[in-house]
Amino acid sequence: MEFVIVSYPIRRPVYVDGDLSGYTNEVLQMDAGTHKFTLAPPEDCDPIFCEVMVKGTTVLLPMKIAFIKKW
Amino acid sequence: MVGMSIRLGACMAVFAGALLLSGCGSFQVNPPLARHDPSSGYRFEKLEAGSNSDKLFVVLVFSGGGTRAAALSYGVLEALRDTQIQWENRRISLLDEVDVISSISGGSFPAAYYALYGLRIFDEFPNRFLYRSIQSELIDSTLTPAGLLKLGGASFGRSDLAAEFYDREVFGAGTYAEVIARARRPFVILNATDMTTGTQFPFTQDQFDLLCSDLSGISLGRAAAASSAYPGGLTPLTFQNYAGKCGYHQPEWVDLAVRDHKSRINIRRAARAENRLSYTDTEHNPRKYIHLTDGGVADNIGLREPLTAINSLNNSWSVLRLINQKKVDKLVVIVVNAGTNPTTRRDQTPEVPGLVDTLTAAAVVPLGNYSFDTLELLRQTVNEFNESMRLVSGCKELAASKGPRCELDIPIPHQIEFFPIEVAFEYIEAADERNWFKNLPTTLELPRETVDKLRKVGQQILNEDPEFKRLMEALHGCIALAGQHC
Repeated sequence: MEFVIVSYPIRRPVYVDGDLSGYTNEVLQMDAGTHKFTLAPPEDCDPIFCEVMVKGTTVLLPMKIAFIKKW
Repeated sequence: MVGMSIRLGACMAVFAGALLLSGCGSFQVNPPLARHDPSSGYRFEKLEAGSNSDKLFVVLVFSGGGTRAAALSYGVLEALRDTQIQWENRRISLLDEVDVISSISGGSFPAAYYALYGLRIFDEFPNRFLYRSIQSELIDSTLTPAGLLKLGGASFGRSDLAAEFYDREVFGAGTYAEVIARARRPFVILNATDMTTGTQFPFTQDQFDLLCSDLSGISLGRAAAASSAYPGGLTPLTFQNYAGKCGYHQPEWVDLAVRDHKSRINIRRAARAENRLSYTDTEHNPRKYIHLTDGGVADNIGLREPLTAINSLNNSWSVLRLINQKKVDKLVVIVVNAGTNPTTRRDQTPEVPGLVDTLTAAAVVPLGNYSFDTLELLRQTVNEFNESMRLVSGCKELAASKGPRCELDIPIPHQIEFFPIEVAFEYIEAADERNWFKNLPTTLELPRETVDKLRKVGQQILNEDPEFKRLMEALHGCIALAGQHC
């Protein structure tokens, strides 16, 4: 099992590989491999999406993926 | 002489007629899907949860094993119906909380019946299936002139005849359209095996999307026949593949997983993706027809699909997605495993084992070993969930022991309580009784008394399972004793 935190200034739904899979700023569990991360609309974040190979994480050291708010 | 000519002529006429008609037997074609629509069809997310809460997520798994498996699974369904729990301020039956049933072969008969008729199963199923000599009736229907003529067709096999029999005699010709119309959980997944890829083939719209075929037009009898097409005795069933004709696109994860193939980062996920692509490849190696055999060939427990749903986000009914969304607090997996281990006299003699014995061992032993590993995977999954939590609490405890300033604030994933429960003959305490059950044959007909013993022992093993007892404590449950209600 892999562990990822998708960060964003506010709580937003997180889509992994096109499916609603949790929320920002929380630890998400997933299987290893390349995943596509997007936030729920509106598209006011940067980047719009992000493809990342998730591997080698632990519950103590989750991977961090940062989205920032576009002004 | 004239009489002999007449007799010969009549014989030839009958033979010619038989030959003419022999081509008539053709498989029941699965309907095409006009347009792929992810919002319709038999899908987990389309079923109303109703009062069934996601917080308590219950998965039932029914293994293969003919009537033995059907009766054992039915006994567990009876036990769940009779088990009362306290949940969200309501006193309910544990059966009302079942979210998913995944079944193989013999286990697919009660699963399909429950999907189609719900609680009517408890009034009808024993007489419709369990107490009947299904195997003899199947042979009888094969040996009729109509059956023999149909079997003359190259695309019509004994399982096609069996599917017609199940439709007529067991499932009342019910189709998935009727299961969809019920729109209620549990989501029942009958599993067959794709003969070419050797992978599990679940009867869900997500799988039939790959073929651009509409599952709603397929009968439960045909699905159960595919799931229980025991190799040798029964033939594989054919399904037409209309891939490329309904505007279907693979989910996003498929391309990502295939790209990971070389890196070997998650071979299992890549293999699942490549398997999906094998159905939709219309250019290089189009598969016009898919041949399905017994679900037990790929996984005789029926647990692999639920394990993928628990361990991966990339599954049409991913439980992990629900866990990440904090929708699940307690995850219960009840495996009803009717696997046997018949006693053999092989080791009492120096004689070289015969060909049949050797071939049977070659077919059965890998199946048993794979089932063992499948159950180990379930235990590993539970350990993995628990281990990460132990790690976090251990670190927090260690840091806190250094003083309040060292306290750690580690963000943690949503915590669930996992209850892996296994109903299997090997957990029967009395050796004589255990051996008796482990020597039951795999057949579609068993004496009524044997069926009743299987129903009873299913309830008994469930009630004695330590994880089930833990679940009952957590849910203030009342375990129904044999023949009694709470």
